[in-house]
Amino acid sequence: MSSRALLEVRGVSKSFPGVRALERVDLHLDEGEILAVIGENGAGKSTLMRILAGIESRDDGVVAIDGEVVAPESPREAAGLGIALIHQELNLADNLDAGANVFLGREPRRFGLVDRGAIRAGARSVLERVGADFSPDAPVADLSVGRRQQVEIAKALSCDARILIMDEPTSSLSRAESERLFTLVRALRGRGVGVVYITHRLGEVTELADRVVVLRDGRNAGELRGDEIGHDAMVRLMVGRDLTVSDTRSAAGPGSVRLKVEALATEHSPQSPLSFEVRSGEVVGIAGLIGAGRTEVLETLFGLRPRLSGVVSVDGVALDTRGPRQAIDAGLALVPEDRKRDGLFAEMSVRENVTITGLTALSRAGLLDRRGERRLARDLVERIRVRTTDIEQPVATLSGGNQQKTVLLRWLAVRPRVLLLDDPTRGVDVATRHEIYSMIEELARSGAAVLFASSDLEEVLRLSDRILVMHEGDLAGVLGRAEASEEAVMRLATGARGGAVG
Amino acid sequence: MDRRRTSILIAALILPAATTGCGADDGPQRPQVAYVTNGIASFWTIAAAGAEAGAEAFDVDCDVRMPASGSEDQKRILEDLLARGVDGIAISPCDAQNQAGLIDEACALTHVITHDSDAPLSQRLCYVGMDNYAAGRMCGALVREALPDGGTVMLFIGRLEQDNARLRRQGVIDEILGRSFDSSRHDPPDQPVSAAGYTVLDTRTDQFDRSRAKANAEDALALYPDLGCMVGLFAYNPPACLEALRGAGRVGKVKVVAFDEADETLQGILDGEVHGTVAQDPFRYGYESVRILAGLARGEEGVLPADGYLDIPATVVRADNVEAFRATLRELTGASR
Amino acid sequence: MNKTLGILGLLVLACVATALINPQFVSAYNLQNVIRWTSLFGILSIGVAFVIITGGIDLSIGSVVGLVGCLLPLLMVEHGFSPAAAIGAVLGLSVAIGLFHGLLITKLGLQPFVVTLCGLLFYRGYARFVTGDQTQGFGTGFETLRGLATGKPTTVATSIAVLAAGALLLEVLRGRREQEGPRRGPLLAAGAVFLAALATGVFDPGGLAQVRAPAPFLIMIVIALAAGLFLNATVGGRYLYAIGRNLTAARYSGIDTDRIVIGAYVACSALAGLGGVLFALDVNSVQPAMHGNFYELYAIAAAVLGGCSLRGGEGTVTGVVIGAAVMRVLYNSINLLEIPTQLEFSIIGAVILLGVAADELVRRTVARRRRGGS
Repeated sequence: MSSRALLEVRGVSKSFPGVRALERVDLHLDEGEILAVIGENGAGKSTLMRILAGIESRDDGVVAIDGEVVAPESPREAAGLGIALIHQELNLADNLDAGANVFLGREPRRFGLVDRGAIRAGARSVLERVGADFSPDAPVADLSVGRRQQVEIAKALSCDARILIMDEPTSSLSRAESERLFTLVRALRGRGVGVVYITHRLGEVTELADRVVVLRDGRNAGELRGDEIGHDAMVRLMVGRDLTVSDTRSAAGPGSVRLKVEALATEHSPQSPLSFEVRSGEVVGIAGLIGAGRTEVLETLFGLRPRLSGVVSVDGVALDTRGPRQAIDAGLALVPEDRKRDGLFAEMSVRENVTITGLTALSRAGLLDRRGERRLARDLVERIRVRTTDIEQPVATLSGGNQQKTVLLRWLAVRPRVLLLDDPTRGVDVATRHEIYSMIEELARSGAAVLFASSDLEEVLRLSDRILVMHEGDLAGVLGRAEASEEAVMRLATGARGGAVG
Repeated sequence: MDRRRTSILIAALILPAATTGCGADDGPQRPQVAYVTNGIASFWTIAAAGAEAGAEAFDVDCDVRMPASGSEDQKRILEDLLARGVDGIAISPCDAQNQAGLIDEACALTHVITHDSDAPLSQRLCYVGMDNYAAGRMCGALVREALPDGGTVMLFIGRLEQDNARLRRQGVIDEILGRSFDSSRHDPPDQPVSAAGYTVLDTRTDQFDRSRAKANAEDALALYPDLGCMVGLFAYNPPACLEALRGAGRVGKVKVVAFDEADETLQGILDGEVHGTVAQDPFRYGYESVRILAGLARGEEGVLPADGYLDIPATVVRADNVEAFRATLRELTGASR
Repeated sequence: MNKTLGILGLLVLACVATALINPQFVSAYNLQNVIRWTSLFGILSIGVAFVIITGGIDLSIGSVVGLVGCLLPLLMVEHGFSPAAAIGAVLGLSVAIGLFHGLLITKLGLQPFVVTLCGLLFYRGYARFVTGDQTQGFGTGFETLRGLATGKPTTVATSIAVLAAGALLLEVLRGRREQEGPRRGPLLAAGAVFLAALATGVFDPGGLAQVRAPAPFLIMIVIALAAGLFLNATVGGRYLYAIGRNLTAARYSGIDTDRIVIGAYVACSALAGLGGVLFALDVNSVQPAMHGNFYELYAIAAAVLGGCSLRGGEGTVTGVVIGAAVMRVLYNSINLLEIPTQLEFSIIGAVILLGVAADELVRRTVARRRRGGS
């Protein structure tokens, strides 16, 4: 460790209503170093990076650059300090060309007007440095995800960033694109840039990182360097114990076919119809990179998107998917990917949130049975230990995990025959995640067919009896429990053919 | 409103563009004149009938335009007419002082006269109408008749920005208080003025909102339990006063003096609920305006009245002449439909 | 609930202040007028509250009031419709207008602001066209019918006593049904109101027992009760709030959001139509170009003052009615206190702004305290 780190973080804490996101976290980064920051969802990685990039404020602690204490209060200030954050969701203006995006917000001017010539020349040189094979005039909307990332990195370099924070940069890249990115990151290291690299993919960490910092539940869980960096060591630090594959599922095996999908064509990929089935008691996971069409399949089944062709049946009865109402009547339920946007009524109470799907059953002659409603809400909340003493508490005041459980409870109230879940533990802390897993398994045990999509490979491997792997809208392969491994899934997800289809 | 009109309505729903169906093309050689009012009211319907009769008699095309929302609408209408190139415009300015510039602009392009309400600061060629101050004094005299022993008086009016409204109100106040003739006097609206046993308490404006007109009358009744007389200075004000009095059960206890000839006002005079009204002659406003514009369009400068003012005197209507007045009115409006 | 208490406090404050400066405020005659105007505008406000709770807006209310106000006398006086047929026709038209708005907003996905803004223009123009810009009225006939707006069938004390007794009975029944006994708070409140109304009726302090209830007041009470019942005690009401809070989540929960939203617009226009009928009967002189102008803004202002959030998902009927009352009391006191009328809009605007700002500040303080406590 050099005496004077490029970036030094000491004792940073941050709370959100109901959640302690960071608790006295320390971190340092040297010039020309690739530091991987890993941890499970909800471990606090993203929050820490958002604080460094000036998007969030910290409650406590110190951030120093070259030994000098700084407190960026906006992304603009952070950029001025030489910090650039490449977001998980790329932040580009789709309607502009690549060059304009590189200089967005600090356009060179001539006589008060935007100097397009200077933009083009400047952008061309910096795009070359990141190895881009497209012109600055290319509209961003036409670029692939990997190329857009190059634009983002070029943008960061053009502001002379010395600290580059990359938040899951490969989550939507193909294998080849990822390799190109690694080459670029190593080249940046050679030029003295400090790179903070956040990822879920432990393989990348082994390949790329000089040092690894592990966060767990908002605290430092440990650090690995050089030869210590290995898959098992990282997992142990992330989870806090050795990961034993729990086999709580009944050995009885799945029952009859509950959900049958034949030649389903979605809007996302009308050319590649999908066929699969899910049996009663079975948990089937859909894996694939972002943009592979996982969410689209679930939403089409639930009637939120048009079904272009194909037949879907539940217990042998053809499903009418004009809308969610019909899907729910047929016994389907969906826990959406973005619970804040699509799931929760944030300002309404826990009671109102969990009973919303079951209200019609609770009414007599159009009038609500309020006592019955309260009883139902209390029963549900007790059953899965949502940590709230008061069912009248607004859902917004609960932690992410409890919010997610609230959305799940809503569906337990109507006992679905087919439960669809889209990224069910996104932003959920580890402990609650395990509770959600047992809820899902319990539902399966009671006879429901469970179909879930997830971008978290470990989750897919842990929960699924079978894994459907998608690649660019196609069903690239199906893996049974025995043949499933991280490598097997990734191979299929990035386009290599294999596995038994069907 | 006949059945033909109803069927046009239905057609208009489907073809909204077809609604302006009055432009009968008799050939371009007839002079085109326009008659612009300051709002939409039955008063202006009678004036429009006069204007159309004038157009018939003096062989011109007359376009009657009623602005829905005051001076900004009037400006738009005026600009459209000028753009179309009409041969003469008669206008009743909503806001004489501030529209002088606009009127002068129009004067540069065509013949412009004012009617009903004057714009003395502008270059309009003449004014056709009544002397509002004089008419106001006639109305004030009616108040003194209704309250021979003095008492309190409230005035109700649509708005005070218009010249005619201001003068009319001042005339009423000056006559009630027995002051000399001076139309340039101005009493601020919400300060009571009194003399010789009479007190003019306040003037309430409603910006042409009839619900407000009624609410204003009601509030006045609530505020002054011993109110002597209500004066409604715009056509719809006396009926609003009557409605409020009926609601309060004070019909007859509070006198009503009116301006203009709304149906309810005339009926009120017949029933003894309204003491009397000062009626203008809108039919002649329309007729005479078009006569002058037609002459001007043909280059006959002689049609302009001496000293730029054609007086069309108001009539006082009381119980004794209301029947006859109503008969004439019906004849005029009946002929127009 | 806190919001409703806050706005109730504002109403009491405005009433007491006005009454202290000018005792004429509490004269039977003046109170009757204020109550009648409150009721007429209250009906419009309840309607728009439904739409606002879904997160929408209806700007066409004033024009619907104008159109209905023109058509009713036109149909009756010029076309010889019977009162029942004419009222049926105009209310049917109002429902159709609401249905039209709702369909455009849900099925075609147009923005409520745009749809109803076009409505505002279209219905106004159509009203002027149908009437040829002639002022409409019922003349001196139709006295019985006009009683719907101008009649005063009973006293306010009696109607409030009946209401309180009803509330008392309902609470007892509810307590029995849910096997937990009547709650003490509502029971005491209803009892106190009942006794106060009874005492007013018997002892007649300051002539208050003479205050008769205008017919529109009774009509508004019936509408408010029905609306309150719908919002608080039915599945549809819960769905309405849920849609206002989060439309997509409501859809994902299987709520037929289109139907509920369309229903809200139908209720809004229907109540605007009913209000239009009563306004026309009350004023008896309907000027097609002006009648009802800005009434949508008065209705929206009353709803917002009464606790509705334009973001949707919030609002109570009681609050909205009290909001409408505050607006009318302010207008009345401006006249009674002889404040220059020119200041009218400024005062109303300032009071609404203060009310809304105060509410927001209270909300933040409460939220901060709650966060600090956890």
